[in-house]
Amino acid sequence: MAWSAMKRRIALVPGAVPAALTGACAGIQSPLAPASDQAFALHDLLILMTAVCGLIYLLVIAGLVWSVLRARQHAKRAAAAPVDDSALDRSLIASAVIIVTGLTVLIFGSFLADRALLAARAEKAMMVRVTGHQWWWRIEYRNPATGRWVETANELHLPLGRTTRVELASNDVIHSFWVPNVSGKIDMIPGRRNMLDLTPRRSGWFRGACAEFCGAQHAHMALDVRVDDPVAFDAWLAGQAEAARKAQGPGEALFGLHCGSCHAVRGTPANGRAGPDLTHFAARRSIAAGTLPMTRGALQGWIAQPQALKPGTAMPAVPLRPAEADAVASYLAALR
Amino acid sequence: MIPDRAHLDRLDRSWRDPPGFWGFLTTVDHKRIAARYIVTALFLMFLAGMLALDMRWQLSVPENTRMGPQLYNESFSLHGSTMLFLVSVPLMEAMAFWLVPLMLGARNMAFPRLGAFSFWLYFGGVLCLWIAHAADITPDLGWFEYPPLSGPAYSPGHRADIWAQMITFTEVAALAASVNVAATILKMRPPGMTLARMPVFLWAMLIASIMTILSMPAVMLVTSMLIADRLVSTHFFSPAGGGDALLFQHLFWFFGHPEVYIIFVPATGFVSSIVETFSRRKLFGHSAIVLSMMSIGALAFGLWVHHMFAVGLPRLGNDFYTAASMAIALPAGLQIFCWIATVWSGRLRLATPMLWVLGFVATFVIGGLSGVMTASAALDLQLTDTYFVVAHLHYVLIGGAMFPLFGAFAYWYPKATGRLMSERWGSIAFIGIVGGFNLGFMPMHFLGLMGMPRRVYTYPPGMGWETLNQIATLGSAVAILGGLVFVANALWSYRHGQPAGSDPWGGSTLEWASPSPPPAFNIAYTPVVRSLTPMWDEGPGLPAMDGLGLDRREVLITSVTAAVPLYRQKSAGPSIWPLASSLAVSAMFIGSIFTPWAIAIGAAPIAATLTGWFWPDRPRAGSDAPSAGA
Amino acid sequence: MLIVLALAGCSQEARRLVPGPPQTAPNGNADPRIPAYQENLYQISQGGRYFAWYGCSACHGEDAAGPANLADGDWRHGGGFANVFAVIGERHAGQDYAARTPVEQRWQLTAYVRDLSRHHAEKRRRIMLDQKAEPQGSAWLGPQ
Repeated sequence: MAWSAMKRRIALVPGAVPAALTGACAGIQSPLAPASDQAFALHDLLILMTAVCGLIYLLVIAGLVWSVLRARQHAKRAAAAPVDDSALDRSLIASAVIIVTGLTVLIFGSFLADRALLAARAEKAMMVRVTGHQWWWRIEYRNPATGRWVETANELHLPLGRTTRVELASNDVIHSFWVPNVSGKIDMIPGRRNMLDLTPRRSGWFRGACAEFCGAQHAHMALDVRVDDPVAFDAWLAGQAEAARKAQGPGEALFGLHCGSCHAVRGTPANGRAGPDLTHFAARRSIAAGTLPMTRGALQGWIAQPQALKPGTAMPAVPLRPAEADAVASYLAALR
Repeated sequence: MIPDRAHLDRLDRSWRDPPGFWGFLTTVDHKRIAARYIVTALFLMFLAGMLALDMRWQLSVPENTRMGPQLYNESFSLHGSTMLFLVSVPLMEAMAFWLVPLMLGARNMAFPRLGAFSFWLYFGGVLCLWIAHAADITPDLGWFEYPPLSGPAYSPGHRADIWAQMITFTEVAALAASVNVAATILKMRPPGMTLARMPVFLWAMLIASIMTILSMPAVMLVTSMLIADRLVSTHFFSPAGGGDALLFQHLFWFFGHPEVYIIFVPATGFVSSIVETFSRRKLFGHSAIVLSMMSIGALAFGLWVHHMFAVGLPRLGNDFYTAASMAIALPAGLQIFCWIATVWSGRLRLATPMLWVLGFVATFVIGGLSGVMTASAALDLQLTDTYFVVAHLHYVLIGGAMFPLFGAFAYWYPKATGRLMSERWGSIAFIGIVGGFNLGFMPMHFLGLMGMPRRVYTYPPGMGWETLNQIATLGSAVAILGGLVFVANALWSYRHGQPAGSDPWGGSTLEWASPSPPPAFNIAYTPVVRSLTPMWDEGPGLPAMDGLGLDRREVLITSVTAAVPLYRQKSAGPSIWPLASSLAVSAMFIGSIFTPWAIAIGAAPIAATLTGWFWPDRPRAGSDAPSAGA
Repeated sequence: MLIVLALAGCSQEARRLVPGPPQTAPNGNADPRIPAYQENLYQISQGGRYFAWYGCSACHGEDAAGPANLADGDWRHGGGFANVFAVIGERHAGQDYAARTPVEQRWQLTAYVRDLSRHHAEKRRRIMLDQKAEPQGSAWLGPQ
């Protein structure tokens, strides 16, 4: 741990250079703004590779420019001078040595970074299962306090400083789990379970995206990721584990009738598994896997005509009268 | 020996095609077949470029509603499939078809009718994909359609089958072409052209052909397995049925990685030829370049897992493929050194073809180095499936294959047409294309590093991606304009270009010995070769060999290593059977998209046309010795 | 032949991912809107997905017997589009599918169900294998 912390401090200096160069790159969905042990290791590797590759490129261009200028000079001579390639033969060997050296450095750096991705200790890790659907994420946490699984969707919360082991699987086609600030991507493949360790070091909001073409709405399969200090995280998880608060008004019954075949709200009769779990829907930051912000207007629009906002999505346009739609939206907006 | 009129007339009578439309359908002249390939592929490149422009326009503004997801997904699938299967490899094959006999001083390819067959079948693949597009059944899952997304459950209808069968078309055509090229290079070299005296261009084509033969079966197999899963309910790629989704990826990329080197290795052949001629010295490091090409050819088969680093394979395996993928940078780098060294020690003439070589080095090396970055299994987990990889693949394919191709086009255009292209417009096109390309694709490296995934029809505002996307769109538009200037130059110069003689550049290899454009029989006598650069070393007259018949089509077969003349081969003349059999094969391929019975039923016309093809030609088989030469 | 295929392909393979006009129930078995669903592979496959998600496969699986077997082409209440549509909405006592499934989805389900008997059992089984990890009504076995 001390070594990675030290490396991070060393890396921050050269890391700031490309960060400054590319302005908005210090964003919430960027490998250039690492926020976890894993992302830092990869960021260090990126710096190393850019440096070595950049140097090689400059050497090649310098060689090319020099050659062109020299050869244009010599072109003014009428006849060809006798060719003695012994100097060039030696240079060929030298360039081979340079290339091999450069590649060895990079291969070694890559191996080290790869080992660092596994550095976390698995026994203490919190288990999370993320299943990819077309086009949303089902997320289940194993509550360390109770040992039971808590299901939610589309928003991943992680405890700061602790390792979370994410088990990745797919419901239908190949997806890929990618939160660049926190880790590299791993595919979610039907019939396989892949594992990913995440050890966040910076709290805040980040954004992930599906990174394997998975059909019509691959572009709108984003993931909000929240890193909280462990106390806040535990409180959040405890809240997620609870059933939904009892609601007033006709919204709950309407929801159960029209939406409950696909969506679940724990504590009510709505128990469909085809769509995201909505028990604590209103506490999330976005709707439809990062497609829309969590506002009343966006919610009403989504309920009224999902195909206009995310064409091809599996959620049908449920025909509701305006009063009914209002009631359902109010009900959902209260599900914190 | 200077051939007299009678000698040339008899040769012409034996080798020319029948006139008119029948001649068009039955020709086995490698030059005409290559010209067809090139015209078709360039037109498809234009269409793919229009698709690209459409996509770039869509992406220049966040949350753009101009293109819906279905149209966008179809666009990138069509663009990728067209460029990789219908443009890049066929263009390289076409250059081989056109140049290999000329550079060998031979009259035609080893299997003339097979050459015609490979074009017609390729054309069938073009129609399969693009007529489907016209009918709105465009494949829409990318240029490598992974199951289960492309399986029967998630991709109803025939779109994925069209894609898979298009691959079958083009791969059978590529196999046929490669067998032809390899046999020609190995067995039809002029006397004295031992393997040691074979120009680098021919080595490149030989190695690319062998790579094609070894890798194409994998992709034919995997796409046929996909069709079988969809059509007859096999379980190859169904995990719940005992299959494996990853099997598709392994088999596809076992082909897919060599495929990009099949595109790259011929380009290194072009570059070697151009560098030698325009540096006006023998290519430095001939052995190093040839051995590097062979290593690239071999190593390319051991890298495919680097397309699957994010799939969750065992770490040690990933590490091995990281090392192998980086290792291939060594032979590539040595080749680049040798070319630069040739220029350094030469007397450079900076005409348009040489400009393209300079553009190639400056651009391809960026692609190669971004490839070294993605070769790292760890770093690839951030880079794969983002715009970084889109930038990388375009830098290596456009910088590494298209730029040498444009240079080759400018270089051999005078040989093909007898006229030179305009140098001024050639330079303008060069600046437009190279400048526009770099402006368009360099920002994509940063977009990938800023988190933009690939294959997205739109992206949210506020991610900071807008400006770079707009620059990328601008650059792509400039590059396409440059491309149009290039084509306009080629078309205009066809009529109005300065007349070129047989050797306007002072080339070193044998194709410059024949007239420009070459007659149907290519060259009047068979040259005898005593060095790597016969046109430079033999003074005013090339030594030649006589004895091939004038009154019927004959080619000379020589031994594989020492190029000792062995016998005269009777070369096939114009025939309708390649077209007929490719129609029969096309019918079977298209039919098998709809029903497995098409394979059984379709076998009958194929058998019939192949019987016609192989029917002994009594006059040709007759044992009469041809009359002696002039 | 290619032209014929092309013309046939047009409507069968069309995939329009835009919001459709508000739907009403079909007007009899000859409603002109029917081919846009019954002859369209995308609509049929969507019907297939909703078939699982609404839990239909619990009773109407491949091994169902008698009237529950939808693949045998034997229609107790008439096989026309409007007939099957009505059965889904109204003849499932206690399930209230008329309220629980939006009208457009019931068009897709009808098209899917009527299409089932046109395929071999292997084809249906093969598709079901790929969809094995999908939720079936309120049951979800997790990724397979």
